[in-house]
Amino acid sequence: MKYIRASLARIAGFFTGNRQDDDLRDELLGHVEMETAENVRRGVEPHEARRQALIASGGLAQAVEAVRDQRGLPWLENITSDIRYALRSLRHSFAFTAVVVVTLALGIGANTAIFSVVRGVLLKPLPHRDGDRLVYLRHSADVPGGANISFSVPEVRDFRAGAPSLGGIAEYSAWTGTLHGDNDAVRIDIGLVTGNYFEVMGLAPLLGRLTQPSDDGHGVPPVMVLTHDFWLKRFGGDSGIVGSRVRMDGTSVAVIGVLQPAPFFPVRVSALTNMVVSPHHLSAQMVESRDHRMTEMVARLAPGATFEQAEAEVVTVAARMHSEHKESYDPASRDRVTVIPFKEALGERARLTVWLLMGAAIFVLIIAAANVTNLTLMRGVRREHELVVRAALGAGVSRLRRLLLVENLSLSLLGAGIGVIVAIGGVRLLTSFAARYSPRANEIRLDATVLGFTLALSVALALVLSLIASIPKEGTFASISAGARRLTGSLSKHRLQRALVVAQIAVSVVLLAGAGLLTRTMLRLSEVDTGLRSEEVLTLPVPLLNPARISPAADAESKQLYERMRSEIKALPGVIEVGVGSTMPLRSSMIALEVKAEGKAPAIGEATPHADLRAAGPEYFRAAGIPLRAGREFAATDEPGSARVVIINQAMADKFFPDDDPIGQRIAWMGEVLKFTPFSGDWRTIVGVVGNTQDGGLDARPTAVVFMPFAQEFAVGGGLVIRADSNVAALAAAATRVVRRIAPTVPLENVLTISQIKDESVSPRRLNAALVSSFGLLAAIIAAVGIAGVLAFSVSARTNEIGIRMSLGANAARVQWMILKEGGVLLAIGLVLGIGVAFFSTHVIQGLLFGVAPHDPTTLIGVAMVMAAVGVVACWIPARRAAQIDPVISMRSA
Amino acid sequence: MVEKLDVQQGTLALMILRTLQVLGPLHGYGVARRIEETSRNRLSLNYGTLYPALLKLEQEGFVTAEWRQSENNRRAKFYSLTAAGRRQVAREAREWHKTADLIAAFLAPPKEA
Repeated sequence: MKYIRASLARIAGFFTGNRQDDDLRDELLGHVEMETAENVRRGVEPHEARRQALIASGGLAQAVEAVRDQRGLPWLENITSDIRYALRSLRHSFAFTAVVVVTLALGIGANTAIFSVVRGVLLKPLPHRDGDRLVYLRHSADVPGGANISFSVPEVRDFRAGAPSLGGIAEYSAWTGTLHGDNDAVRIDIGLVTGNYFEVMGLAPLLGRLTQPSDDGHGVPPVMVLTHDFWLKRFGGDSGIVGSRVRMDGTSVAVIGVLQPAPFFPVRVSALTNMVVSPHHLSAQMVESRDHRMTEMVARLAPGATFEQAEAEVVTVAARMHSEHKESYDPASRDRVTVIPFKEALGERARLTVWLLMGAAIFVLIIAAANVTNLTLMRGVRREHELVVRAALGAGVSRLRRLLLVENLSLSLLGAGIGVIVAIGGVRLLTSFAARYSPRANEIRLDATVLGFTLALSVALALVLSLIASIPKEGTFASISAGARRLTGSLSKHRLQRALVVAQIAVSVVLLAGAGLLTRTMLRLSEVDTGLRSEEVLTLPVPLLNPARISPAADAESKQLYERMRSEIKALPGVIEVGVGSTMPLRSSMIALEVKAEGKAPAIGEATPHADLRAAGPEYFRAAGIPLRAGREFAATDEPGSARVVIINQAMADKFFPDDDPIGQRIAWMGEVLKFTPFSGDWRTIVGVVGNTQDGGLDARPTAVVFMPFAQEFAVGGGLVIRADSNVAALAAAATRVVRRIAPTVPLENVLTISQIKDESVSPRRLNAALVSSFGLLAAIIAAVGIAGVLAFSVSARTNEIGIRMSLGANAARVQWMILKEGGVLLAIGLVLGIGVAFFSTHVIQGLLFGVAPHDPTTLIGVAMVMAAVGVVACWIPARRAAQIDPVISMRSA
Repeated sequence: MVEKLDVQQGTLALMILRTLQVLGPLHGYGVARRIEETSRNRLSLNYGTLYPALLKLEQEGFVTAEWRQSENNRRAKFYSLTAAGRRQVAREAREWHKTADLIAAFLAPPKEA
């Protein structure tokens, strides 16, 4: 009751403040007069009587302020006036405001943008219903390409039976199909899924229906669910598409629905279909062979089951598989199955890069905050006088703190506002960057959470800035004479400033070290020898043969078409050579098989060797520029009926024939998987050895490759390699026209030159390096401004001292040296600290490096030298100013 | 010279109310003088303490204020106790006695058994 009444009185007081102020002044003056009168009556002389009365009052201004605080809503009242005051004072020191706001805007903007990526790609809850309950099973082994070898259908069955904690297990198999439109054909990536897939994944249709268990098995009609993106892109978001039919690989498929927007996993697909679309997936081979691994597993934890239970069960099932089917698991390959939360699996490739950028952005913000702190401290020293006066006029400590807080809040919110604008631009750039790493890049948004993060960041910054500023203590203001001019801060504050400068330099060095390592990685990568002698090579993949429907007749027909394309393109002006092959150079082969050499038993305990299978025409090597190291190339006489011959690459030769001549030796494909391929396990004679090429990307180690004559085998894959004398990119249009004329419905994609393929490896690293480098540069610039600012301030504080030194005989050079030394010490400490931290922390980005060690001394020394140079220049400017001080003027003005 | 004490938090309101109860309507100067006298000059009150406290009591409805002529013909703001104020004095006095007894019991020299 008492409080309600008091609060109402206060609210009333807030609005009637001015009238009551007059009242209060009268009352207080009356008090003084009564006390004066009393003193006079006691015999004190009138002037002295009044003085004593005023002393006893404890300060009229303070009393007025205290009553005001009690009267209205001082908080609200003061905030409005504080804001007004803060804005006015910030406008007056425009240079300070501009520097601080720009610094903060860059720091906050970078953090906002990167945080939106972290959130979109890694943190945001999945669109899947109860997405946290989804897990991904990974089957891996220590064989080439063994990081993820998928599962065979019998293996999936084992897990269904043996892991009750996995409430539902869905199968997914990556596939490609050719979708025929009215006047074109596109090659699309699709996912073949079991009927329970969408139920397990917790996804809903946007239109129509999704697949269900009745879509499983033989004899059901083929159905297709379009992904949201593909529906928009290919069908323009036409809802009439549901219920219609499309033609894929010569079969009519019903479109039953459109899926809600959801991240793609494990690869981006355009549509999901039931298994019947690929006859192979329902064949006995696929369903019964334990070694035929083409299936990915996604599972949902059963209600009440924990992740740990599921993990334990999966390990048990895997161990039982290994012991019951010894023939299918090579003990040397350390075959294993791991359970990964689905969300983590989605973010796996992006995680390191994204956190690296977040770290870099936070570093930039730390440096920016340190700079602003320093600027605020310096301004604070200049304002000490003002604050003392305000305190003497009755402003309490809390009032002064609040004023500073309001000022700093205005600064940081202004910075945040501009920062968000910076971030809006940055997010667009970062989304395309993140799309290379994450299927969730399209979820990157500057949403409420991200903006909340930005707001929290700026408020936290303002609080920190306000806490470190010095404020006259309660009661001390009386002792400070209002006329005193104090320019130097206390020693401890100087120490704080210096510590901040050291920290700035150290953090910049760490960032620059990261940038240096990534830049060197990028350079190293672009210097990698692809293994091809020329870059004037165009690759033109032309998949004529439908892998699901291979027949000798179709094969013969497609080989004729390839030959026609080859000879017609060869006739184009500028073309030097055209070759046919199953796989384009610098592209990894889709098929890797176990391989053996005659008379060579693999060492005990060593994993069975694999080799990539490729087919090449006689001109392929010359057209691609792959050098022949020994023996001969394929010839026109290596025909279907003639002796089976192969050409191997150098890596294969080193592996099997390290000591003897491979030419004339025989090798053969082997293993369980072979029977699912159209290739035989016959012995084949090696007739040639060619150089290695970087087929797995520039950073991959060359794998063993066996080339077979294109004419002797089924023409799976298939494409043309074109070499020109110059400017091969210009040939793309003409060559494509030729292919179109001969095979009008074939989908043509990825028509790329060798340098474009090469760039696919380099460009993500280039972006990485560019982003981190720009953060590094930003940091170095801010740090340079920081050190220059602190020294300049030190010079201005020491003007008087410098004047005295000079009048006592110190010359300009000596003064300059003195200031340089002051900065140099900070610089040196910062450098040593930074290099130390970099040395121990760069290993976290090892996974992003190529051809350069995390402790690469050249990079670290280089970075230190760059930072030192920047730092010395930054010290030079204030040092020169110090040297130009005129002793007479400086001492007179003191 | 006697050592001056600062007014303890929470005690000032009771002192003011009691002063007004004993002496009737009084201006701020009068209240201050009376409190100083009663404390035999051990307490010193500056305006910054007294006037906010008076205002707070007014806001809480324990005192009312009005401008009147003072004894020596000066216009001054007089504070007087309201009915609620009177009840508050009684209540607070009771509580103070209780507290004082309690503290006294604690501070009393231990009795020999």
